[in-house]
Amino acid sequence: MAMNPMEQFEVKPLFQHPLLNIAGHDIYFTNQALFMCVVVAAISLFLTLTVSKNRLVPTRGQSMAELSYEFVANMIHSTMGEDGLAFFPFIFTLFMFVLFSNFFGLVPWTFTVTSQIAITFALASIVILTMVITGFMKHGLRFLTLFVPKAPWYLLLLLVPIEVISFLTRPVSLSVRLFANMLAGHTLLAVFASFVILLGAAGGVLSVLSIAPLLLIVAIFALEMLVAFLQAYVFAILTCIYLNEALHLHDHQ
Amino acid sequence: MPPPEPDDLRHLGERIDEAGRRRTQGSKSAPPTSLDIAARFGTELMAAILMGAALGWGIDWAFDHWSHLQTRPWGMVVMFVLGAAAGIRNVMRAAQEINAKMAGKDVEK
Repeated sequence: MAMNPMEQFEVKPLFQHPLLNIAGHDIYFTNQALFMCVVVAAISLFLTLTVSKNRLVPTRGQSMAELSYEFVANMIHSTMGEDGLAFFPFIFTLFMFVLFSNFFGLVPWTFTVTSQIAITFALASIVILTMVITGFMKHGLRFLTLFVPKAPWYLLLLLVPIEVISFLTRPVSLSVRLFANMLAGHTLLAVFASFVILLGAAGGVLSVLSIAPLLLIVAIFALEMLVAFLQAYVFAILTCIYLNEALHLHDHQ
Repeated sequence: MPPPEPDDLRHLGERIDEAGRRRTQGSKSAPPTSLDIAARFGTELMAAILMGAALGWGIDWAFDHWSHLQTRPWGMVVMFVLGAAAGIRNVMRAAQEINAKMAGKDVEK
């Protein structure tokens, strides 16, 4: 019987074509790839359909699309200022992808794309690479002073390695946070769901008791909705903060 | 829909002005919840310590593999401590960011 709470995170190949082959490695179209396509299609449909009939007084859908636009634009504005808006398409895409992936994962029988460290680490790597490239393009080698805090030289011997490690942890903490939150929430839901089944099958008084984990699932589900949004928000705002450091070197000090 | 009153129009004008001010000055977004703060601090500290230890292990491995210097276990010991320091630095920085956000919220009130 399928009682393994981790089973939902299994990446399964759906189909494979002999032509999909890179250097002897077969490329599979997995359930993960399928749900990434679904998420991207859903975002595109949502944003194009809701604003296709552009009204002055927005309909519900249009106002949802406008709200998400405003939300991200305000976030960028408050963290990076006016010139940060050049990154709007990048951050909006990241935010919507993570948000929709998180919410799609909450639908039963779906696969949570963001519960895979491969996906979240790839997203975080894109963010950090964008930050590094922006920093070097804007400030040249002066970008390296990011690692040099204001301190006497003998302390710098210690502080520079610390700052370098601190910088290197950014992609790790960014990706692990999102991945761990999604993984933990979905595992918890699956564990409590198996309690319902086990208690229900036990018979007698225990069957009646199975209502308790069921109620807990409802509560955890509500919490997961909050976490799904919150994690997308945190991912986007940290991207803003990192890009801001690359844009305005040492301005915050 | 009844024709808009002059009062309504003035009210709308005020709201548009306010939105414009928000756009130019930049508004602070919602303060983070305690769950968010806990997750943030935890991962910042953990990631830095793990990263430090991994780097130290890598340094030891590299010295072992490509030279005859025996650094093991000192690379990992030193880098672990530095990683812990970097983790605390990360948490301090995260706390500063959150404090700044909270302070901005208080000023607005």
